[in-house]
Amino acid sequence: MCTASVMRLVGLVVLATVSTALSASAQEPPSDAAQAAQATSRQGEIEQEQAEKSTNLRPYTPNRAEKLFQRVDTVLEGGTIRWHPFFENAYAGGGFTLGAGHANYVSAYNYIDVRGSWTFSNYKRFEAEFVAPRLWNRHAKLSAIGGWREATQVGFFGVGNDSGEGDRTNYLFRQPYANALLTYFPVRAKRVVLRGGAEFSRWNLEDGEGSYPPIGSRYTPETLPGLGAEVTYFHTQGGVGFDWRTAPGYTRRGGYYGVTLHDHKDQDDQFGFRMVEYEAIQHLPILRETWVLSFRARVQHAMDKDDQQIPFFMLPALGGGSSLRAYSSWRFRDQNSMLLQGEWRIMINRYLDLAFFYDTGKVAATTSDLDFNGMKDDFGVGVRFHGPFDTPLRVELAKGREGFNIVFSSSAVF
Amino acid sequence: MHLSLSSRARRIAVLVVSTGALAVFAASASMQGPRFYPDDPIARDPESQDASKTTPYDESQMYELFYNLFVNSGHVASGLRAMNINTIDEVPDSSWFTNRIGTRPITTAEITRGTNVGAPPDPSKWVLTREKTSGAHPGFTAVDAKGETWFLEFDPTPYPEGATAAVAIATKIFWALGYNQVESFLTTFDPKKASIDPKATLRRPNGKRSRFHEDDMNAILERVARKPDGTYRVVAGRLLPGKILGGYRYSGTRPDDPNDLVPHEHRRELRGLRVFGAWTNLTDIKNANAIDTLITENGKTIVKHYLQDVGSTFGMCNDYHEWDLSYEYFYEGPPSKKRLLTLGFGLSPWQKADYIEYPSVGKFEAKTWDPRTWRPQTPTMAYMEMRDDDAFWAARRVAAFTDELIRAAVHVGEFSDPAAEKYVADVLIERRDKIKNIYLTHVNPIVNPRLDAKGLTFENAAVAGGVAKGSIVYRASWMVFNNATGATTPLSETKSATTTIAAPSGLPSSGFVAVDIAADADAYPTWKQPVRAYFRQDGGNWKLVGLDRLPEKLPVTTK
Repeated sequence: MCTASVMRLVGLVVLATVSTALSASAQEPPSDAAQAAQATSRQGEIEQEQAEKSTNLRPYTPNRAEKLFQRVDTVLEGGTIRWHPFFENAYAGGGFTLGAGHANYVSAYNYIDVRGSWTFSNYKRFEAEFVAPRLWNRHAKLSAIGGWREATQVGFFGVGNDSGEGDRTNYLFRQPYANALLTYFPVRAKRVVLRGGAEFSRWNLEDGEGSYPPIGSRYTPETLPGLGAEVTYFHTQGGVGFDWRTAPGYTRRGGYYGVTLHDHKDQDDQFGFRMVEYEAIQHLPILRETWVLSFRARVQHAMDKDDQQIPFFMLPALGGGSSLRAYSSWRFRDQNSMLLQGEWRIMINRYLDLAFFYDTGKVAATTSDLDFNGMKDDFGVGVRFHGPFDTPLRVELAKGREGFNIVFSSSAVF
Repeated sequence: MHLSLSSRARRIAVLVVSTGALAVFAASASMQGPRFYPDDPIARDPESQDASKTTPYDESQMYELFYNLFVNSGHVASGLRAMNINTIDEVPDSSWFTNRIGTRPITTAEITRGTNVGAPPDPSKWVLTREKTSGAHPGFTAVDAKGETWFLEFDPTPYPEGATAAVAIATKIFWALGYNQVESFLTTFDPKKASIDPKATLRRPNGKRSRFHEDDMNAILERVARKPDGTYRVVAGRLLPGKILGGYRYSGTRPDDPNDLVPHEHRRELRGLRVFGAWTNLTDIKNANAIDTLITENGKTIVKHYLQDVGSTFGMCNDYHEWDLSYEYFYEGPPSKKRLLTLGFGLSPWQKADYIEYPSVGKFEAKTWDPRTWRPQTPTMAYMEMRDDDAFWAARRVAAFTDELIRAAVHVGEFSDPAAEKYVADVLIERRDKIKNIYLTHVNPIVNPRLDAKGLTFENAAVAGGVAKGSIVYRASWMVFNNATGATTPLSETKSATTTIAAPSGLPSSGFVAVDIAADADAYPTWKQPVRAYFRQDGGNWKLVGLDRLPEKLPVTTK
């Protein structure tokens, strides 16, 4: 570097320095820092900053995510958003379900929910439900549903506890239905629960779709009561229960003990029957609800009526995501069923539980055969995503003598 | 020769560049102003601008919940010093905070009265006007016999006296701590003396408001604790003056409030609320439990900030299944992973806590509790920014609560069971002592330095709080301080085994001195990190104008 170059550099540095110093004092308007420099007191300094901010005020603007959550808030507060997902399929065993509903309030509390669902097995369901949750000074809740459904490949493995896995046939049914269920809380403490309901429904059965043989290829109306018939039922039910769970959809303590009586009257007096269902559920919290030992026992007993026959598709059944979970839906059918379930539920956090479970049960032609011999069983593990009152997603892997089964459900098992 | 010339030229260039840099630095330094202004330390933050253009807004509660749980949880604390403190490391009074306990004596009569300045409600008649607009527990908005509007909150059935006592007690404690509180009174609601305003409405599930019926009142009364005489115990909160603007956030500033300059996560009183929250178990910290109001004070329209709902204290739960409350966020990865991997065999601290549950108290204890691991329901930005000097500031205020004051505050809860009252007070006292032990000793606890003819006198907050023992040698390093440039010129070092240290000879008769005060105590190595105090000659006396307990920025850590 020559001297001339050095001197040019020095000149540039001096020029830059001077201009920087001058510009620091001559800028118009002064920068924030310059403004602060003009303050002679702490109070003055703060007041200058406040004055500066006062020239740039704007209302709070929520971002897109917050706007979305505002809509969720509105729903939770009982607001105005009507669309909702609907994951109940037309009939157990339909598989993964897609669906949606649209609720419309018809008064302050009463609403009509119109909804539909479809599964990859082409099960379809369309219905409208009217819900009045605060009848009779909040002593009762009424649900009335009218709809139509189609299940395309419902499994039938034969009647009895020893039916073979390889004997599966499929049937299809279409069914219009209309029902009403009234739930009554005598003392509003919601521990004692009385239920009564009525339903009109018509069952139209055909051979099923899918990879299994159609039911008509193995059975006839003579060998399988109800096959080929078009049955119209007037179904009434009444029940009483004692329920002290925190919520049926999710709880870590409490229990439910109840009995329900059903009467199915066939319009043609051919396939009428009665059924009684006993259910006991008990949750035992351990280690401050980190563990919950949960137990369920259910017995269903169907009774012939006036020499009428019970159609095969109305027989008590076991198998599927809420009973014998490793087995196909409707795997075992007979006039009586017994189901015993036990779970060890582990709280992972407030929204997630892990559960190990064991299911066992059997079906039998007579109540005297409902013993502990020949019980079908399975075991497995699952996770439940839940809130304080509901279980919107349950995913389980179950293993039984007939292999593995994966359960996806949008409700608690019990 | 050529080389020599070139070398000289380089030296000239370096000199000129250095001079230039110094000139720029000097210009910059002069623009930054002196370290201390004549009015330092300020005792009150000015609110100079008209805030009447602020508009109401309520943040989505679900958004806040999810943001806190899944975004805030990954926040890395900045390590920055609180930004609303004055030059002596204290929080000036403001529309957020008023210095009370710890800065002046508080009597039992004062804490019993708390923020209540007006008369209590007259419960001989209640006219219901609408539902309660905030808080987790059931209630109404109602007008009393004197025509004044109140927010009535009841006790949920499982916790008779619990929720109402929590509000009554906590408002006194948080008032004493310095927060703006709602005037609250325990009173009675007799349904026989209640009526419904013909214009009263209630928001229904369909989103519309319709007339408030007697059955709506009954629906609420069925869920709350009733006394044997058929009346209900309620806590009545007075309607706040001014226009309600919605809750404040624990991060950022209000963009429409010209006086709100300091990001809320850098406000010391919001950072320190973590210690107060841990002490009282105030778990439900969220936007909706705070309120900004627009008021006119001394001719100026400003925003006043209230810590409004402090009812989630002393183990009062909002929901079922809340054993982990105050030990874990609503969602927290590590404990979830631990329970998943151990199938729940790896016990969490909340499973070992020895609760003595009174119906009126809930899950509140001191043995297992640790303020450092205590959790509100969701990660709170201001809490995550809390530094050790913020915690020290808060702990001094907690330490200032005597047993007598705590028992007086708890007595306001009017527990019918004296054992419950004693239990709550005992737990608060034990928790206070834990806070003192942990936070007063964690940083150099030198406070209140004074410089006069006797020399330098100060207090050791940990010793004064009875939580530090053993011999301590205090060292003072004296410096002349140039307020314009920030430069210091060392003078000498003196030391003492007491909290009075002789000043060196040759202290200037004007201007500023700075003193680094450190303490040598075997049990507390952090006390070697000196506190720096700045004194200014003021009419022949030395006035404390600055105090730095910790550096401006600490290494970044996650909390």
